[in-house]
Amino acid sequence: MTKNLRVKTSKFIDETYKVSFKFNGTTYYGYKGDTLASALLANDIHLVGRSFKYHRPRGIMTAGSEEPNAIVQLHNNTSRTEPNVRATEIEIYEGLEASSQNCWPSVNFDIGGINNFLSPVLPAGFYYKTFMWPASFWEKYEYFIRKSAGLGKSPTVPDPDIYEHKYIHCDVLVVGAGISGIIAAKTAAKNGFKTLLLDEKSYLGGSTIYQNSENFKISNQISSSWLEKEINEIKKIENLEIKTRTSVAAFHGYNFLLARENLTDHLPLDQRKNKTRHRLLKIRAKKVIMATGSLERPLIFDNNDRPGILLSSAIEKYANLFGVACGERNVLFTNNDSAYETAISLFQKGINIEAIVDNREEIDSKLIKETEKNNIKVYKGYTVVDTTGYKRINKISIMQLSKDGQKVMGSKVSITCDCLGISGGWTPAVHLFTQSGGKLKFRDEDQVFIPDKYPSDQISIGSCNGDFTLNEILSSIPNKLKDFLNIKKTDYENLEVYSSFNKSKRNIWLLPSDKLIGKTKPFVDYQNDATAKDIKLALREGFRSIEHVKRYTTTGMGTDQGKLGNMHALGIISETAGSKMGELGTTTFRPPYTPLTFGTIVGRNVGEYFDIFRKTPIHDWHVKNKAKFENVGQWKRAWYYPKDGEDMHEAVQRESKAARDSAGILDASTLGKIDIQGTDASEFLNRVYTNAWSKLAIGKCRYGLMLNEDGMVYDDGVTTRLDENHYIMTTTTGGAATVLGKLEDYLQTEWPELDVYLTSVTDHYATVSVCGPNSKKIVSQVIPDLDFSDENFPHMSFKNAKIGKIKCRVMRISFTGEHSYEINVQANYGKSVWEKCIEAGKEFNITPYGTETMHLLRAEKGFIIVGQDTDATMTPIDLQMDWIVSKKKYDFIGKRSLYRSDTIKEDRKQLVGLLTENPDDVLEEGAQIVADMNKSPVEMLGHVTSSYYSPNLKKSIALGVVRGGKNMMGQKLIIPMENKQINVTVADPVFLDKENKRLNA
Amino acid sequence: MLNYTNAITEEKSYSGLQMKEIKPVMKLVIRGKKREFLSAIGKSLNLLLPTEANTSSSSDKLTALWLSPDEWMIYSNEILNSETNEYETENLLNKNISKTNLGAVTDVTDQFVLINMKGDKIFDLFETGSPFNFNDFRNKKGSVTQTILAKIDVIIHNQNKNEVNLFVRHSFSQHLFSWMNDSASRL
Repeated sequence: MTKNLRVKTSKFIDETYKVSFKFNGTTYYGYKGDTLASALLANDIHLVGRSFKYHRPRGIMTAGSEEPNAIVQLHNNTSRTEPNVRATEIEIYEGLEASSQNCWPSVNFDIGGINNFLSPVLPAGFYYKTFMWPASFWEKYEYFIRKSAGLGKSPTVPDPDIYEHKYIHCDVLVVGAGISGIIAAKTAAKNGFKTLLLDEKSYLGGSTIYQNSENFKISNQISSSWLEKEINEIKKIENLEIKTRTSVAAFHGYNFLLARENLTDHLPLDQRKNKTRHRLLKIRAKKVIMATGSLERPLIFDNNDRPGILLSSAIEKYANLFGVACGERNVLFTNNDSAYETAISLFQKGINIEAIVDNREEIDSKLIKETEKNNIKVYKGYTVVDTTGYKRINKISIMQLSKDGQKVMGSKVSITCDCLGISGGWTPAVHLFTQSGGKLKFRDEDQVFIPDKYPSDQISIGSCNGDFTLNEILSSIPNKLKDFLNIKKTDYENLEVYSSFNKSKRNIWLLPSDKLIGKTKPFVDYQNDATAKDIKLALREGFRSIEHVKRYTTTGMGTDQGKLGNMHALGIISETAGSKMGELGTTTFRPPYTPLTFGTIVGRNVGEYFDIFRKTPIHDWHVKNKAKFENVGQWKRAWYYPKDGEDMHEAVQRESKAARDSAGILDASTLGKIDIQGTDASEFLNRVYTNAWSKLAIGKCRYGLMLNEDGMVYDDGVTTRLDENHYIMTTTTGGAATVLGKLEDYLQTEWPELDVYLTSVTDHYATVSVCGPNSKKIVSQVIPDLDFSDENFPHMSFKNAKIGKIKCRVMRISFTGEHSYEINVQANYGKSVWEKCIEAGKEFNITPYGTETMHLLRAEKGFIIVGQDTDATMTPIDLQMDWIVSKKKYDFIGKRSLYRSDTIKEDRKQLVGLLTENPDDVLEEGAQIVADMNKSPVEMLGHVTSSYYSPNLKKSIALGVVRGGKNMMGQKLIIPMENKQINVTVADPVFLDKENKRLNA
Repeated sequence: MLNYTNAITEEKSYSGLQMKEIKPVMKLVIRGKKREFLSAIGKSLNLLLPTEANTSSSSDKLTALWLSPDEWMIYSNEILNSETNEYETENLLNKNISKTNLGAVTDVTDQFVLINMKGDKIFDLFETGSPFNFNDFRNKKGSVTQTILAKIDVIIHNQNKNEVNLFVRHSFSQHLFSWMNDSASRL
């Protein structure tokens, strides 16, 4: 039977809407508006999980995203399971199922808890020290280390939720909707700035919105009432967009920020269908106002981690916002006035406070006086030295502090309690500011890091800037906003502010104990179980840099990134090493501020939208005819067309035989096509290709090789002269965009004097390539008006033609070595032309073939594929294509590099043909080529670049690059494979029809 | 007689958003730097080419989009006959521009698919996949941008309040349209 610790109605909780949820298999009830943490606390449950290393029982410690302990697994063993969810952030909904992590068999009885008793032999660096030897045991250690690593369980099935990205551009982005953020957003929006206000909570107003004390007033109104009116006003401003449940994850350079908008995590599962769960906002802001607030610091003393120990501000929030008492016998331990605010709130709600332990001796503020007036016992100048209670705190021991705060004295006093609130002052939340490249400075008087140098157009206001009291906030913000937004006035000048808060603080990073430190467990990083003792050990072992101490002790390396304890770690290092905090610096705050789901990062780039792809205008025909596709660049290209259960090899053999024997048809629409016009078009081609173009007659086509500046082959293709000053260039499929970009770059930067214009027409044309001895008969049926005689239409020429009333261009060019025609027609007529060719070719058994057969056919002819037979280290000479390099031209891209000492060496890798001793052995592409297997080490001469079994030649053929291969014709070489060696002979790379008889057949 | 097969066969309608392909629409890319080029275009088409970046101009029959300092796209405002791909405008410009060496005229009718979008959620859709800042663009009739949407190059022309014409390469059009529908279904 659990207790009900709901104490008083809260307007933030809908008590008419009861919500049932399960925690560790047991059903509990809460109300709409509760977080899992507030609902558990209302049911008097503090024990939520076990710590990472020692498996110590841990409870809810905070009420926000800084929570280190209360992290749970949601919906275990389902597709929606999620580990490491902070109970303090997740809002409950009907059907929520949460369970504890890092414990077995249960959170109440955890076998791993034995680690707590072994802790004396598990110091910082235990793993590093222990698992170094013997080296051969590593694999055995690794198994156990991996098994015990991590906290929750990853999902094992696909995520059913939808995630999206969204780009937002605003004039002013305000991060944080506390009192400072609300003031800033309203001021910016009312002055005409397109403003975006974000807050990670489900409500606006930060901690002020539930501050119901007469001790804090603005314009003679209780601060929360004043702020509520402001919030109601900003909701009506048109150019102000407000997003709650939205956490800024990263603040990059130039005011580019990433935020996660949580859209459905608070809804029951059955209401989430087809809705976006998380949205990653990619925000470009002209100006950024950081109003991220501050985080309350814990206090570091022995056994400061027990369930029932919470931050004092969290206890206040649970009482005021959720109407929940965290305990029935509460004690507060503080070094500043904040705990008294909590005490007054609890008192107002009728929640019992046993005592307040304050480490300050001389304290005088209105808040303390009011507390004492309420008969709450205050122990001044005392510190907590120990706590007891394994799964829930039941007692604390306190002792008096010495004047210097380094020792305790006097006798121990025990106080029975079931909840201890601790308050060590406040740390400005500067994480995002530093992510943006901002530099911090250390303020000695209250031991805080605050923003100093801004790297972009941004400011920090409110408590994230070190202005902690209501007075400070409201007196500083108006002037800051006026300067930053360049405006003359704000609505917030000369406000009457009343605040009872006294800023005095007695900061002691590690509180003294009556025991030796080695006998204590003062936790600094709660999630990773790093104690002050571990930090001191790291310093004794020689670590000095904060970054090294962090990694050695794992302080600040949990999912909470040490939001609570990092400052204490710095303080303890500084005190122990005798260095100044300001000089020590901080560890690097890295994005994300709070963990993001992978879905948020990926967005809709999953499944069919994982990558973009392109289809040719004939794509649907290929699908209908059961083509298999391969990805070429971004294109889906027909790879082969299996028939009657054929595998790829069988299909390719059939397709290539048909293309040589009668007719084949290929969809070549993917080739890049660049329209080149201008009076200097011929000169331009002379400069970009290695061969000469000036004398190419109108109506003729020519193959060209394009080099990079380093003389290496970059792209190739056929270019056709359509008119005196008009060419169309084809490029490789994958190279189209980069070639166009490179050529445009040359025209704009190197050769602005040339009168040349480039326009991509790759997508404008569908290209149907018909090849084979019967190709002429087929295309002449499709285009009856065109004279296809060899005299009128010889190889490497082009004709304008019409099919019906549709204009098209026909090129007689060949990549197969066969008599071939390419019909280029406007894309939307492409499928129709293809179908007409198929129809006309029926009597000739016209066979559609894909890229695999195309590769085989061209390899038989020794035609290269740039990117397959070349790899940016091959010159035209290496490819045995000396014939295409003009010796007469003054210049072309890469010319100079062809005459460097390295590129004219005789023993460069050169393209050769390879014939296997056994004609049935097909080499593996990429296989190494060697001459002498007995040489040690074996010298690699090159590798196989293309390899096929040719049904036309009835033998295996291959192309490869071999060091000095040009002079090795007829020489025997070896291809060493896994289980055998294949003997090959170096041959001419042209295997079929060297005389080009078939082209003109 | 060849059959005409356009890229996007469906018209899609969502709350606040309608999308459909407009075809056949003649599209030409014209390029030139000389002053005579601009005046020859103006005289030939009775249309002044826009010289301010990312703007457009229109006549009854044609619209010109600024693409770069020496590059424009001209598209027909009317739907043409799919039985022929002879375009009077192209022939006229070939005669007055190409043949006189004033600049380049290239037919890109099927290079781009024109998707017409209407509704008050057009820019909500764009925000889910384009990094471009549409804040000023959406309020300026006739503005033009070349940006990316769902990682795909697009040209967007602000036709009117709550109406844009989006040009996407033919090969990407089906993939983009599918993505747009997916995104629109959740707006």
